[in-house]
Amino acid sequence: MAQIEMRNVQKFFGANQVLKDFHLTIEDGEFVVMLGQSGGGKTTALRAIAGLETITDGKILINGKEVQDKKAADRDIAFVFQSFSLYPHMTVRENIAFPLRAVRMDAAERDSAIKEVAETLQIAQHLDRKPSALSGGDMQRVAIGRALVRRPQALLMDEPLGVLDTELREQMRAEIKRLHIARGSTSVYVTHDQIEAMSLADRIVILHDGVLQQVGSPDDVYLHPTNLFVAKFVGSPVMNIADVHIEGSRVALPGDGAGFQFDETTLSKLQNTGDGVTLGIRPEAVLLSQKKSKGYVEAVTTNIEPLGSHDIVDVRLGDTVMRARTESGFVRGEGAQVWVNLDPSQAHFFDNKTELNLRGGA
Amino acid sequence: MASDVMTKLDPKSKAAAKGFSDLTIRNLFIIPTIVFLIVFNIFPLLYSLGYSFTDFRASTNNPAKFVGLQNYRDLLSDPFIWKNFSITAKYVLISVTGQVVVGFGLAMLLNRTLPLKGLITTLLLLPMMLSMAVVGLFWKLLYDPNFGIINYFLGLGKFEWLADPDVALWAIAIVDIWMWAPFVMLLSLAGLSAVPKHLYEAAEIDRAGSLYTFFRITLPMVAPILMIAIIFRTMEAFKTFDLAYVLSSQPTTELIAIRLYKMAFQEWQTGMSSAFAYIVLIMVVAITNIYVKYLNKVKAR
Repeated sequence: MAQIEMRNVQKFFGANQVLKDFHLTIEDGEFVVMLGQSGGGKTTALRAIAGLETITDGKILINGKEVQDKKAADRDIAFVFQSFSLYPHMTVRENIAFPLRAVRMDAAERDSAIKEVAETLQIAQHLDRKPSALSGGDMQRVAIGRALVRRPQALLMDEPLGVLDTELREQMRAEIKRLHIARGSTSVYVTHDQIEAMSLADRIVILHDGVLQQVGSPDDVYLHPTNLFVAKFVGSPVMNIADVHIEGSRVALPGDGAGFQFDETTLSKLQNTGDGVTLGIRPEAVLLSQKKSKGYVEAVTTNIEPLGSHDIVDVRLGDTVMRARTESGFVRGEGAQVWVNLDPSQAHFFDNKTELNLRGGA
Repeated sequence: MASDVMTKLDPKSKAAAKGFSDLTIRNLFIIPTIVFLIVFNIFPLLYSLGYSFTDFRASTNNPAKFVGLQNYRDLLSDPFIWKNFSITAKYVLISVTGQVVVGFGLAMLLNRTLPLKGLITTLLLLPMMLSMAVVGLFWKLLYDPNFGIINYFLGLGKFEWLADPDVALWAIAIVDIWMWAPFVMLLSLAGLSAVPKHLYEAAEIDRAGSLYTFFRITLPMVAPILMIAIIFRTMEAFKTFDLAYVLSSQPTTELIAIRLYKMAFQEWQTGMSSAFAYIVLIMVVAITNIYVKYLNKVKAR
C-alpha cells in the first residue's frame, strides 16, 4: 500500500501543455477519482503516476521516494487500461499469471495467487479460455485480476468501464467499490462520468485544461463547487446558470422584473469584484409551489420530464429557463402556472470574469 | 449462375451495337487465359507425369517404352540423388534461417520513428528487385579471390569463397540472404506494426523485461505473418537454381534443381527427370502442408 504525491508536475506535448503545475497527495488506502472532460489531462496525470508517460517538470513520490525518473516496471504499480489490454494469444490463466511469471515467482505460490484472485473476481470458470471468448464484463474482471494478483503498491484505472454497456457499468462499479473495501488498496480512477466519480470516490479530483479545479469529497464538490466549471460539471441535471443583477437584497433574472428576495447578509458577504455575477442553483434548490405565497415569483412551465422517482420541470422566468426537481406528478403539464422560489442557502454566485464562487466555496 | 451476378451490358454501348452479348464478352476475357494455362501448365504437368513412367529421351527418335515405377525406384535408391537432397536441405536451412534472423532484426530496428525511415526501407528493399542472374554475376565479382571487394575489406587475402567446397554453399546462401532478407523484413514490419502499443504498456506495467516481452508478446503476435514469409522463402529456396548455377559449379553446391537441369537437358534422360521433378513437387507440397498446418495452429491461438 502506498501514499502517492505529485508536486508541481508539468507536462507538455510539444507546445501544448496538458498538466499545469499539478499538485496532489493521495493517501494510503484512499480511493481517488480524477474527473474531467476528455483532453482535460486526467489520463495524462494517471499515466504519469504509472510511469507510462514522462513528465516535463516536477516530482512524483511514492511512499516519499521520488520515482519520476523510474520506469513503470520499477514503480510497482498496477494499471487497468480502458481497452483491457489483455494478451490475446494467452488464456485467462496465462494472462493473470503474466505479471507473476515476469518476476519468476515459483509455481506453487503463483497458482495459489491466481486461484485467490479468480475466486474474488468470480472468473475461476473462465481460466482456460481465451480473452476473445469472454464478455466485456468478464474481460474487465480479468484485467483487474491481472492488476491485483501481484498485490501492487497502488491500483490505477483508466476509464475501466468506458466500453461497457450501462447495466454492466453499474454492476462493475459496485464490484470495484466492494473490491476496494475488501483490499484497501490505494486506488486512482479516471473517468469522465460524474456519477461514477460520485459513487466510487473517497475524494474527487476535478481537472480542466490541465489545471486542478477542486479536490474534495463527493459531497464537498457537489455542495461547494469552487468555480463555475465544477458547478456545471458535477451533478445531473446540470446546475441552472443565469446572469443576474443584484440590487440590495433582491436578485433579478434578466427580463424578469420581480426578482427574488435574498438575505441581505448573505449577499453583502459576497466577494464581489464588480465584473458581474452569475447565479448557479441546482434543480433541487428551485422550489415550486401551486399557489402564490410570499417570496414566490409567478412563472409558466415549458417542459416536463417524468423520471419515475421524480420529475424535472422546466419553468420560464423572464428570459431564463430554470429546471426544477419536484416529486413526480407535481405539475400536470406544460403551460401550467406555478410559483417559483430559490433556496438561498443552496444558491451559488460566480464572478463573471474569474468564474470563482463568490461565497468562497463555503 | 454466373451471368446472374454480372453487370448487365449497356444496350447503347458500342459492344452491344456490334451484337456482343454479356456472355460473349466474358468469354473473350476468360478463354485466352484458360487456353494459355492448359497449354503451358496443365498439359506439360500431365504429359511429364506420363513420361515419368517411361525411358523416353528427347534427344533420340526412339519411341518411349513404358517402364512402370522403375525411374522412381532408381532415383530413390541412388545415393547421389540423396546427396543432392541433403545439400538442398542444408542450403534451405542456412538460407531461410539467415533471412528470418536478418530480416526480422532489420524489422525490429525499423519499427520505431526514425528520420528518413521511408527512404531507408526503400533502399533496403532494392536487392529483392534485381534479377537473380544479375545478382549472381555481381556477387561472383565481389567474391573474386584476386580483386573481389569482400576479401579486400575482410582482409582475407586470396580466400576462395566459391571454389572452396566447404564454403561455396555458405557463400551462395549469403547471397540469397542478402537478396531476400528484405522480403522477410517487409512482412515482419507489417506484423510488428500491427501489435497494439497498449500490449507493450501492459507488459511494462506487469514488470516484464525486454527479453520476456519479446518472447511472450512480440514473437507470438508476429508468428502468423512470419510463418507466411517462411513458407514462401522455403519453397523458393528449395527450387533455387539460377543463383547457385551462376555462382558455383562445385559438387558440394549441386542443389536438386541443378541436378534436375543436368539430367533433363545435358544427359537428356527425359523420362527419369520427369520422375525426379514429380518427387521434388511432392516434397515441396508436403513441406508446405506442414507449415500451413502449423500456421493454422498459430492463427487459432
